[in-house]
Amino acid sequence: MPGLHHALGVTGVVAALALVPLLPLNDFHLQILFTIGVNYLAAAGLNVLVGYAGQKSLGHAGLFAVGAYTAAIANVDWGINPWLSLVLACGFGAVFGLVIAMPSVRVSGPSLAMVTIGFGIVVEKIVTEWTDIFKGQAGLYGISAPSIFGRSFTNLHWVWFVGLLCIVTHLLLRSLLRGRYGRAFLAVQLAEPAAQSVGISVVRAKTLAFVISAVTCALAGAVVAQQNQYFNSDFITFNLSILFLVVVIFGGSGSLYGPLFGAVILTLLDAWLARWPALQHFTYGALLLFSLYLMPNGIAGALANLVKRSRSAQPPALSPERSLLLEQKRDRGTGPLLVVKDLYKAYGGIVPVRNVGFSISAGKVHALIGPNGAGKTTLLNLLSGHVAPNGGSIRFRDQEIAGEPPHRIAALGIARTFQNLKLFGDLSALDNVLLGAHLHVETSFLPSLLGLTASRRAERAARGQALALLTELGLGERAFEQAKSLPYGLQRRLEIARALASRPRLLLLDEPAAGLNPQETHELGEVIQRIQAAGITVLLIEHHMDLVMGISDHVLVLDYGEKIAEGAPDTIRQDPRVIAAYLGAEDETEAQIEVVA
Amino acid sequence: MINRISRRAVGALLVSTSLAFALPAAAQNEIKIGYNADQSASGAAELGLSGLYGFQAAIEDINAKGGVLGRKLVGVIRDDAASPPKSIQNMNELIDNEKVAAVVGPTNSGNALAWLHIPQQKKVPVVSHVATATDITARYAKEPQNYIFRVSMVDREQLALLAAYAVKASKSKNIAIIADTTGYGQAATKDLQEILALHGIKPVAVEKFGPKDTDMTSQLAKLKAAGADMVVTGSLADATAQVLKSMEKMDYYPGLLSTWGSINTPLINIAGAKLAEKTIFAASTTEDASDHATALHKRLIAKHPNMPAFVSAAQGYDAVMLIAAAIKQAGGTDGDKVQKAMESLGEIQGIIKTYKKPFAKEQHEALGVADFHLAQWKDGRVVKLDNEIVKSLAAADLKR
Amino acid sequence: MTAILQALASGLALGAIYGLIALGFNITYATTKTFNFGQGAFLVPGSLVGVSLLLLAAGKPHWGNLAPSEMTLFTYGLATLASVAIVGAIGILLYYCAIKPFVGVGGLNWVLSTIGFGIILQNTALAIWGPASIAVPSPLGNEVYRIAGAGIRPQEVLVAVVAIAVMVGLDFVIRRTRFGKALRAVAFNPQAAAIVGINVEKIVIIAFVISSALAGLAGILIAPITTASVFIGLGVALKAFSAAIVGGLTNARGCVLGGFLLGLIEALVGLWRAEMREITIFLLIIIVLVVRPSGLLGARSVEKI
Repeated sequence: MPGLHHALGVTGVVAALALVPLLPLNDFHLQILFTIGVNYLAAAGLNVLVGYAGQKSLGHAGLFAVGAYTAAIANVDWGINPWLSLVLACGFGAVFGLVIAMPSVRVSGPSLAMVTIGFGIVVEKIVTEWTDIFKGQAGLYGISAPSIFGRSFTNLHWVWFVGLLCIVTHLLLRSLLRGRYGRAFLAVQLAEPAAQSVGISVVRAKTLAFVISAVTCALAGAVVAQQNQYFNSDFITFNLSILFLVVVIFGGSGSLYGPLFGAVILTLLDAWLARWPALQHFTYGALLLFSLYLMPNGIAGALANLVKRSRSAQPPALSPERSLLLEQKRDRGTGPLLVVKDLYKAYGGIVPVRNVGFSISAGKVHALIGPNGAGKTTLLNLLSGHVAPNGGSIRFRDQEIAGEPPHRIAALGIARTFQNLKLFGDLSALDNVLLGAHLHVETSFLPSLLGLTASRRAERAARGQALALLTELGLGERAFEQAKSLPYGLQRRLEIARALASRPRLLLLDEPAAGLNPQETHELGEVIQRIQAAGITVLLIEHHMDLVMGISDHVLVLDYGEKIAEGAPDTIRQDPRVIAAYLGAEDETEAQIEVVA
Repeated sequence: MINRISRRAVGALLVSTSLAFALPAAAQNEIKIGYNADQSASGAAELGLSGLYGFQAAIEDINAKGGVLGRKLVGVIRDDAASPPKSIQNMNELIDNEKVAAVVGPTNSGNALAWLHIPQQKKVPVVSHVATATDITARYAKEPQNYIFRVSMVDREQLALLAAYAVKASKSKNIAIIADTTGYGQAATKDLQEILALHGIKPVAVEKFGPKDTDMTSQLAKLKAAGADMVVTGSLADATAQVLKSMEKMDYYPGLLSTWGSINTPLINIAGAKLAEKTIFAASTTEDASDHATALHKRLIAKHPNMPAFVSAAQGYDAVMLIAAAIKQAGGTDGDKVQKAMESLGEIQGIIKTYKKPFAKEQHEALGVADFHLAQWKDGRVVKLDNEIVKSLAAADLKR
Repeated sequence: MTAILQALASGLALGAIYGLIALGFNITYATTKTFNFGQGAFLVPGSLVGVSLLLLAAGKPHWGNLAPSEMTLFTYGLATLASVAIVGAIGILLYYCAIKPFVGVGGLNWVLSTIGFGIILQNTALAIWGPASIAVPSPLGNEVYRIAGAGIRPQEVLVAVVAIAVMVGLDFVIRRTRFGKALRAVAFNPQAAAIVGINVEKIVIIAFVISSALAGLAGILIAPITTASVFIGLGVALKAFSAAIVGGLTNARGCVLGGFLLGLIEALVGLWRAEMREITIFLLIIIVLVVRPSGLLGARSVEKI
């Protein structure tokens, strides 16, 4: 029972903290323990950003500064009580988290590194240069530490207080990351388009991760300023940003315990190496250079491998609930569900979708066919919102959705799969489906953070339903396997399961049979028919004509971005323009056979 | 899964924390002196490193004469890499773990300011041998016992001298300030503005430049536009040389007054012998100022051929000498008693000078304005400036 | 007016240096999607090795100071070649230690490993040369030339000329030669390049050698302006990195353009308020990236869905 072990572990840390006064520790040792706590606080939040949401920041010293200076100025200049200053520091941290998130969520890769570095340097320069407020290198002193019953914190109290903050931070983040929000962060890191397709707003998820990391970093800065009772601009350097990142990555990013390992080991190492001044830089350099080669996923990753080798993972027992597929019966034959008019999309001179119009009736299986490069996938991307059209209208259930972001379209009830599978490969099949159900896990941020019963109940219910769906689609046995370790055919089916978990009214399938063997293709046909039977409208792109002709009620044909035909499968089979499109205009008669074959 | 491992690991780490940093057995026949200064990470590291050489040489000399109170002096050396958190941690380690009797350091004023309260609360005397910020010795001046001393240039003292000269030498009384953006430069700017105000003068321009800048022409253009005929800089030797080079570029030569850093060879190496002559600076000692200085310089250069800043070494040496004398006078390493002894020392032979009662309750600076003179480079050597203006400077002119 | 001209002149020299280093970022990023985050440390041996060779040739210890008479254009040229060769060789070491294990592996590991390599390199230099800066005379003398009232030193002209020549030469090599084609092929698609018989690893190693050599060249070029020291690198490399990102990391010419832009803006902001330079520049960069996430001339990456 991981829960029990976790509770024991936390109790152990609390007990160890309580025993600190009994150990022969002097103020230096207490200072080290305090520093471990501070580094953990900063890294724990940064881990959410770097390890979960996948956003690499090289500027978190700036957020550390925000917290430290808020605590310092609030107390020294505004005379605000230290406890309140701490809260204020977290608040300002959150605000500045939003500030840095605004440009950061728009960029990725090296540009993201640049934006965050830039933020860190701008903050560093502001606190150095704007001496009227921040006092530059001369610094702010006389920062009061919090007090209890009129007694100011001693170093021992500080260790306890920071220890408490660490434990609380750990519990909150653990509760948040193990549920809906943690999954959403990981989804954003692993496959952005897929995350959008299940209704996750990538911008909001990244922003939230920035804010979380900003709050813990600011808190770390605030306690450093208060504990030291003095703070100046020399604390804020690019190296500090690097250090926080190193703590996360060396410890193991994306692991709940990575920052802990990183903070403990790096802080102790640093203190221990201080006695050989000439060696400390070399050791630090060598650590950065070689440790990640030996432990690509940090200490936590290396430990996890050891554990994995010694015992196989045992999936927790879960009872499947009633199948989702049976529950939803919505749109059986009630007129057009989706109406597309004059849809137009151009990339420079290439026009993959040229003034296309059609309508999709509820409860039917529609197929979209056409030769390679006809614009089918672009059309699908336009419908799902992954690509914004240049013109035209898409009305879904009498609502205009053209140009809406994909997560909003997903929320309205359009789900999709991808031609090149976009599963969350590192996550389990079950987690993939749970992500599909993202919008239907009924909990919000605060209950998730605090781990309230309602939130845990919602999570449990969602897991039950997800497992039921997996079982329904024949994936129940493999629910706890990593998605990327599943056979190809099952990965395709898992993607359909994930799309279904979002309880769509319209399901868009992009070449679901690509790469499947005949047996699997046949089973896919049955699955699609069951989906239809459950009342879900389907639009599929497919090259397998057997499949298309066998299950569709209605076929659309696209060529060079234009709709050239639509109608019942039998009509399409005969259509000369379709035949011409597939084989060129010359040999119309021969082509017919080929198309059908 | 990670849970189980991690919990065990955390437990083990907590235990090892206490083991790894277990109290080192303090030998009864030793007296430890801490050294906590940047020797590797910032532009001022050369001062910290040179200071270390002097610190070590002084310990050698004292031990060669039988140590202090029959006990051997041991230097405990830490490098704070110019990082305040690291400097704080080193300070805690030196005081709580190593139980040093006193600390010499740091290099950067910002680091000193970050941990001043620790030695003050723990009653461990500190001698600042490089960092110059006025606030270092001033912050606890009002306390019953101030544990922070200094054997180094004090910004305010040398700036008082420079300002007095500038006021006398300036015909238009248009005096300008140019300083680097580091804490050092900015503290100097603040001090200068206050000192000039005592002279009833408001600088016509105050400009800043980055510590690694090589082109100050735009700042100088503003000074020129403001009509400044005397300019005081607050910067280290490298940057002062760059100011001179920029002046050459613009063919604009107001009187340039600079702080003690100009005595170091980088100034003449970077600016060139001719250009270097165009600044007047506050100086204390040089390697050939006395026999003691010459001897120490020879000895250090033999051991560390590329020692960059002899003045810092001399200050590091003298800092140890004063501490050792105070411990001897106090009859032990009790911080409270050593502090009192520091404030009532007699005559001690140092490198920079012979200290006569260097410290008192109200006086924590071993070097004052009397120890500075104005100097200039002349044909590759530092010579004492002795013109009409210098002669006319009276004690009353040294407002500070 | 003179002040503006003065600022432009020094901005141009500085911009040329930024462009030179930024080009190095471009070459390795194009081939491996990685670059040396510790590039600043590579300027250090670049300047110090060259200066020490000259010092040793003059019969002085390697950390001393050169007299202007001991520096001629010829010896400076030789020292530059030696520096470039040595730093280029360090680039091979960098590749095997810090890049190769992480190529193709996502994540930030290569960022940390290259920073680690840089820290070791810089501290090795610190152990050899100490923290003090070494003054380096310019091979062209130290006189100030006046153009429309603005003073310019010959070294600033030399820096700009050499840097621009090297950048133009490299541009030619990349666009016109067989090696350049291979480099671009690897950048476009390493697997496909390997199929047509290109030794991908060799090309990648050469890319790192070039990138490091450019940093080394930048180091020795600016030494007469800034002095040679262990601490010259970080600030310059950070600006060069910014230049590469703003210009477009994927576009060599964009990187060079970014370098000059940054140098000029820096100089012009300095005219206004020197202490506002970094704040202004980095805020500008952030704004540019928000509008054009892949930089001014960078190829917009469209993820295929």
